Amino acid sequence: MADRRVAITGLGVVSPTGIGIKPLWESLLNGKSGIRPISLFDAGKFPCHIGGELADFSARNFVPKDYRKAVKVMARDIEIAVAAANLAFGDSGIVTRSAGDDKMTIEPSRLGCNIGAGLICSDLDELGSAINTSVADGKFDIRAWGSQGMNNLTPLWLLKYLPNMLSCHVTIIHGAEGPSNTITCGDASGHLTVGEAARLIERGSVDAVIAGGAESKLNLMGALRQTLLNRLCPDGASPQQACRPFDVTADGTVIGEGGGLLILEELTHAQARGARIYAEVVGFGGACDPAGFDVTRPTVGGLAQAVAKALADAGIAAKDVGLILAHGTAVANEDALESAAWEQAMGESARTIPATAVTGAIGSLFAGAGGVELAVAAMALHTQTVPPTVNFSTAAEFCHLNLSAQPRGAEIEHVVSGAFGTGGQSGACILRRYRK
Amino acid sequence: MTRRRVVITGMGTVNPLGHDVESTWRALLACESGLAKTTLFDASSYPTTFSAEVKGYDFARQFPNASRHRHAGRHCQFALGAAMQAWRESGLDDYKELDRSRLGVYLGSGEGSLDFDNFTSLLVDAWRDGRLDTVRWSQLALAKMDLHRETEQESNMVLAHLAGEFGVAGPAFNVLTACAASTQAIGEAAMQVRRGDVDAIITGGAHSMIHPYGVTGFNRLTALSVRNDEISTASRPFDLTRDGFVLGEGASILILEDYGLARRRGARILAEVLGYGASADAFRITDQDPAGAGAAASMRAALDDSGCSPGDIQYISAHGTGTKQNDSVETKAVKAVFGDLAGKVPVSSVKSSLGHLIAAAGATELITCVLAIRDGILPPTTHYRTPDPECDLDYIPNAPRKATVRVCMSNSFGFGGQNNTLIISACP
Repeated sequence: MADRRVAITGLGVVSPTGIGIKPLWESLLNGKSGIRPISLFDAGKFPCHIGGELADFSARNFVPKDYRKAVKVMARDIEIAVAAANLAFGDSGIVTRSAGDDKMTIEPSRLGCNIGAGLICSDLDELGSAINTSVADGKFDIRAWGSQGMNNLTPLWLLKYLPNMLSCHVTIIHGAEGPSNTITCGDASGHLTVGEAARLIERGSVDAVIAGGAESKLNLMGALRQTLLNRLCPDGASPQQACRPFDVTADGTVIGEGGGLLILEELTHAQARGARIYAEVVGFGGACDPAGFDVTRPTVGGLAQAVAKALADAGIAAKDVGLILAHGTAVANEDALESAAWEQAMGESARTIPATAVTGAIGSLFAGAGGVELAVAAMALHTQTVPPTVNFSTAAEFCHLNLSAQPRGAEIEHVVSGAFGTGGQSGACILRRYRK
Repeated sequence: MTRRRVVITGMGTVNPLGHDVESTWRALLACESGLAKTTLFDASSYPTTFSAEVKGYDFARQFPNASRHRHAGRHCQFALGAAMQAWRESGLDDYKELDRSRLGVYLGSGEGSLDFDNFTSLLVDAWRDGRLDTVRWSQLALAKMDLHRETEQESNMVLAHLAGEFGVAGPAFNVLTACAASTQAIGEAAMQVRRGDVDAIITGGAHSMIHPYGVTGFNRLTALSVRNDEISTASRPFDLTRDGFVLGEGASILILEDYGLARRRGARILAEVLGYGASADAFRITDQDPAGAGAAASMRAALDDSGCSPGDIQYISAHGTGTKQNDSVETKAVKAVFGDLAGKVPVSSVKSSLGHLIAAAGATELITCVLAIRDGILPPTTHYRTPDPECDLDYIPNAPRKATVRVCMSNSFGFGGQNNTLIISACP
């Protein structure tokens, strides 16, 4: 069973700098940033009014006609996942039920789904207009709400906001009847999800699985919580240059929205259908920081352990890695801990191996981050190119990673990508260059 | 390569019937009901005025390090209590050689509840001309909303507290697949042990949705029982008169570990996790596949993984929510998998007494399977009076039943179509 190898055969990303892997990759190589003034809502008195907002995004373009009605019960997080799934399957060449029941080119029970998600906030205008029908003397009246007011919410209101609905809509649209999971571990969700998905293939439960994550915290509650955590940068002169991971001037992250889903496929299954193979998933490690529950302290969730485990799982040494895809939140004390974690796990190699981070271009995508980072890692292997770290110019004192604001050609045999989130979980994956 | 065997060495629970495993078990076998009028908020005008609350749990007094977890939300307090029971029972507390980087945690824990009073009054106070005045809202929010109250709502925070309490440095996962979450977590946790990624792992789930918006959500879906005049018997899985599930809350935690480790350190082995299966209905977000194909696929996958045949299963702990749809679909699925044996294998739903603990349901039900094996007694489906022609299995109605069982199956089916099944057996 251990000889069931895992190939990446499809990439679907929805990001502030591009919808689809090609536009994202091109804008990354051009050093573009998708951070701009927030137009989705007025951030009012919050100190940060910029975000990595999706441009020209409508989920309706990504669902089959007979499923368009369902878009009405999708929170934005779900819309992103549904779009990314459509792009990922399209990119892989696997035809799913979205094209028609009889058109599917994979056995439904052998197709799994594992999508990371975050805490989805209900739309405040929607909830507010219902709540304000139940007000007496300027105060919310719960008895009026219970007997009448709640009826102003659509009957399916709850389903818009359940984190498992990202996976559920995707399984329904694409006819994925294999195991389906929803991992909710903040920014680590994407890596943990891809690691778990790879194991589903290894242990023979599925032949292919769609994995990654999606989230949008670009709303008032998301902005509030990140502001309370003191993780956001203040408004600066230029939104595009606001998020600067590992840079000496880094002073906080920016909320982005988006997600990435990858099609993982058992290697011989992919070969048999002549699929394009971006890379193989050859190692995974997860870890946590037992102090992570104190959210007032910065944490990288035991990232060094996760990376060390992933290297061991892949059976490679640090020097075999050609690219470090760092998480780089641009929150200065998190960047410092992250840089130290890479050094702890990889020793001197962490200073010489080319490294990069995508947060400067797209902001923090939380549960959506890992899937995008791993899609970028796969593209880096596929094209043998290290994308630039957008907005990086002078390394922070603590940062010894080999970063560059310019794209670099390289010989890359393995990429290691890791991420961590508030609360203290981390995950790391090793991708290997695929050779026929 | 022989695969590593996975055993259960500790269990703990805080639920509507008790604050520990033994009192819960006694209450279940005595057919007590955990259902009562909702007290956590004023639900008196809601379509459903009752629920299955955890009663009288005093975290500050009952939990040894309560002050360390002073920001923990309600479900997290349950989880810490349940985990401490499980951890102590496992004896891992005294096993100094345990490598913390090879100790994991894999939970199916729900989100925390909103800071209801502040959140709601802000929506009222910042409402202007039919829409939210975001400038006012943000100003009020920054003044009134609390960092910890907000961050504790993220569904990885129970995980974080448990990791902190027990010094977990290994892999940490939370899954939130609705009503199937903790069954899925236990199954995946078992896979972590089986693959050798960890030596031991803390698993299970925690959830509380008994708050004004949680009940609103389920009431709008018309998923809850509205038998406000017959509260204690309102949860009626498989009965013709069932009219929805009863929302419960709580946490149940189990310690899984490598059989070899458990033997070496002389741990008391409670049961073995033999098999795990998962599937998706891929049907509709609002309905289960009416033929029960997804549920059946999950049971078959677990049988296949365990190496058992249907004839080996001596008891099924049903998902059995008490909704019209679930119970008839589950019955169909059991028939599809068990064929002629379907009427012979006893099936029950402890949700009849406990209510539906949502993310925490599966772990709680698995604990009752372990106890059934240990004590040779099966928990009943209570409040069963009127047979439903669509539900014609042996549901162990209204009284526990003596039976020597070695192998049990436990089902959980999540809203949206994520299905999970576990199979456990007596100590190897």
